Amino acid sequence: MTALVVLVPVLPLLSALVSLAPLRARGFGIALAAGGGGGLACAVAVAVHVASHGSFEAGSGFLYVDSLSSFFTLTVAVVVVLASVGSAAYLRNEEGSGELNRLQLRLYTAGFALFGGLMLASLETGNLGLLWVLIEASTLASAVLVGLEGKARSLEAAWKYIIISSFGVTMALVATLFLFYASSPLALSPNQRLTWPALFLHAGLLQHDSLRLAFLLAVIGYGTKVGLAPMHTWLPDAHSEAPSPASAMLSAALLNTGMYAIIRFQAVATPELGRYTNHVLLVFGFASIAIGALFMVRRGNFKRLFAYSSIEHMGIISVALGFGGTLGLYGALLHTLNHAIGKCVLFLTSGEIVQRWRTRNASEVVGVLARAPLVGGVLLLGSLAIVGSPPFGLFLSELTIVRAGFQGSSGLAFLLLALLVLAFIAFARTTADMATGEPQLAEETVVERRSFVAALPLVAGMAALLLLGVWIPGGLNTLIMHSIGAIR
Amino acid sequence: MTLPLAAESLSAASTSGTLLDLSAVVMLLCAFACLGSKLFDRYVTYYALQSIVLAIAAGVVADALNEPALWALAALTFLIKGVAIPLATRRFLLDRLELHRDVAISTGLSTSLIIGAFLTAFAYLAIRPSTLPHALVASAVVPLSTAIVLLGALAMVVRRHTIAQLIGWLILENGVFLGAITLTATFPFIVEAGVFLDLVAAVLIMFTFVSGLALRLATAAAPELRELRH
Repeated sequence: MTALVVLVPVLPLLSALVSLAPLRARGFGIALAAGGGGGLACAVAVAVHVASHGSFEAGSGFLYVDSLSSFFTLTVAVVVVLASVGSAAYLRNEEGSGELNRLQLRLYTAGFALFGGLMLASLETGNLGLLWVLIEASTLASAVLVGLEGKARSLEAAWKYIIISSFGVTMALVATLFLFYASSPLALSPNQRLTWPALFLHAGLLQHDSLRLAFLLAVIGYGTKVGLAPMHTWLPDAHSEAPSPASAMLSAALLNTGMYAIIRFQAVATPELGRYTNHVLLVFGFASIAIGALFMVRRGNFKRLFAYSSIEHMGIISVALGFGGTLGLYGALLHTLNHAIGKCVLFLTSGEIVQRWRTRNASEVVGVLARAPLVGGVLLLGSLAIVGSPPFGLFLSELTIVRAGFQGSSGLAFLLLALLVLAFIAFARTTADMATGEPQLAEETVVERRSFVAALPLVAGMAALLLLGVWIPGGLNTLIMHSIGAIR
Repeated sequence: MTLPLAAESLSAASTSGTLLDLSAVVMLLCAFACLGSKLFDRYVTYYALQSIVLAIAAGVVADALNEPALWALAALTFLIKGVAIPLATRRFLLDRLELHRDVAISTGLSTSLIIGAFLTAFAYLAIRPSTLPHALVASAVVPLSTAIVLLGALAMVVRRHTIAQLIGWLILENGVFLGAITLTATFPFIVEAGVFLDLVAAVLIMFTFVSGLALRLATAAAPELRELRH
């Protein structure tokens, strides 16, 4: 079992070593996809084991997997697989067009593998200090991807990303310190005072003031990673400048990893602080939805549009955590999975569009459906899915969250509904214009390309979203219910 | 219930307590000095000085608690933060890019010093009353370390040059570290080492970005970074 748990992050990490081998883009792509696929297979096996045997602990809590971490590991592993297949297509295309040189191809491979592997590792530790170390390390790996293209724009985005995230994550380190201090009245060894099962067991005995400080700083610190407003300012730049498969990883995996840390802090703070934690998350959540929805109204760079949509969805998840209760938590977790798959597909689609049209400006892209039927179709259906229309998974999870809201105060639930409608209109009016519309005359500006590898993650992701919209597998349901049990 | 032996139970009257307190004050002064300076070279000097004092503080705690892991941390702090990072900054950034005066500061020096004074007072008000027991050295040092964190953040806000922002972040990190060794000297070593590793990696990557930006923009001052506006 230990071996299996260790293999989940190690297999993707191993593909980083391949970047040193004398290979070309094709080999790098295969290595990334193989690493990601192996990680996913192990993650599934771990999830099955955890569902039947309960949580797993080894190495005095440095290795710890319960249902919640298993759920997030599974989500991130799915995203890593989709994005690494997307990367395979991206690398071959960029090598063919000469956009990236050999060194950049190697850097991309190493950065991508480290990014994915470190995120998976961070989800499998019960030590909150090590969690911090691994999340920061994955941030650094992803910063390499954001700045990869080496143009002034991408370096600028990468700088903004790394300086704001480092600042935020340092706040999360202070939060971890104060949590450690809050546990000083407990008769635990120093190591146990940072380790999940022991800490959570004694959560009601933590020192009140330090714990409150720790929780607030954790929401601000890890919230910077999640992209909660007003700490979201790095997010649109980094997402629009990174290569599209890397954007998919940022939006669908990194943000969730940050949210996972916030969920852990909320769970440990709630027994002592009560509804206070919910109120904090509601405030940040609604601010994020509002900011995300308002900035989506503007028509411009479509990758920025998707990024603002990520801010909005992280806000929705935060609001769901704020509503709380079984229904709220269920909605939050289900929405995490749905959003991860949906946004991953959309960012990979945006990569396909950028490679054909050579622009990120939405108004210059018209008639994708006519030019590239598959990409256009996925763009249209993916947009419908991400704004939460049936029959896709996000409809179901947003419905659950709104229902959780009506259980508490219906005023907040109506506010959430109103913001969701605004986001729907803002998002769909841009992407619908891109997908449909008459193709313009300048035929030669669009590069023709057909790639089976590029189409694979798009189709697989859309199929998964559709499936999750009509049927939640029994195993997934059990995993989510157990996850809720693990943090209450 | 017995408290674990840690620096948080170090009494303020003991020799180690006094030394730790003194180091924290010197570190705060370094942060102020950096905030009140306009030359890149000075920024680096004050940061190096602050890091060396931090290493001494870590040594004091290591001596008081007899923790070998903390000795290792003190040595690492001295070598990496006190020597290697300042040297590399001078060598690879300041000399190569020929940087001398920082002209990209949004507020006057005196204004930022006054704001810094307010932040220090705020740190005392916010931390002292409820969270920490009196008569322990932690109740004096943790507000100081919070003040250093806030001053580092202030430097990042008022300075627009990328290197100045980098130094601001490093000062902030020093403040966090000071709080860490005082408040939680028994913090697991693997975690502390990991934090250190991340810091080194972050600095390396930031160096690359700063030089890359400088090559492309001639000046890497953040106000020039306007291309990503809406």
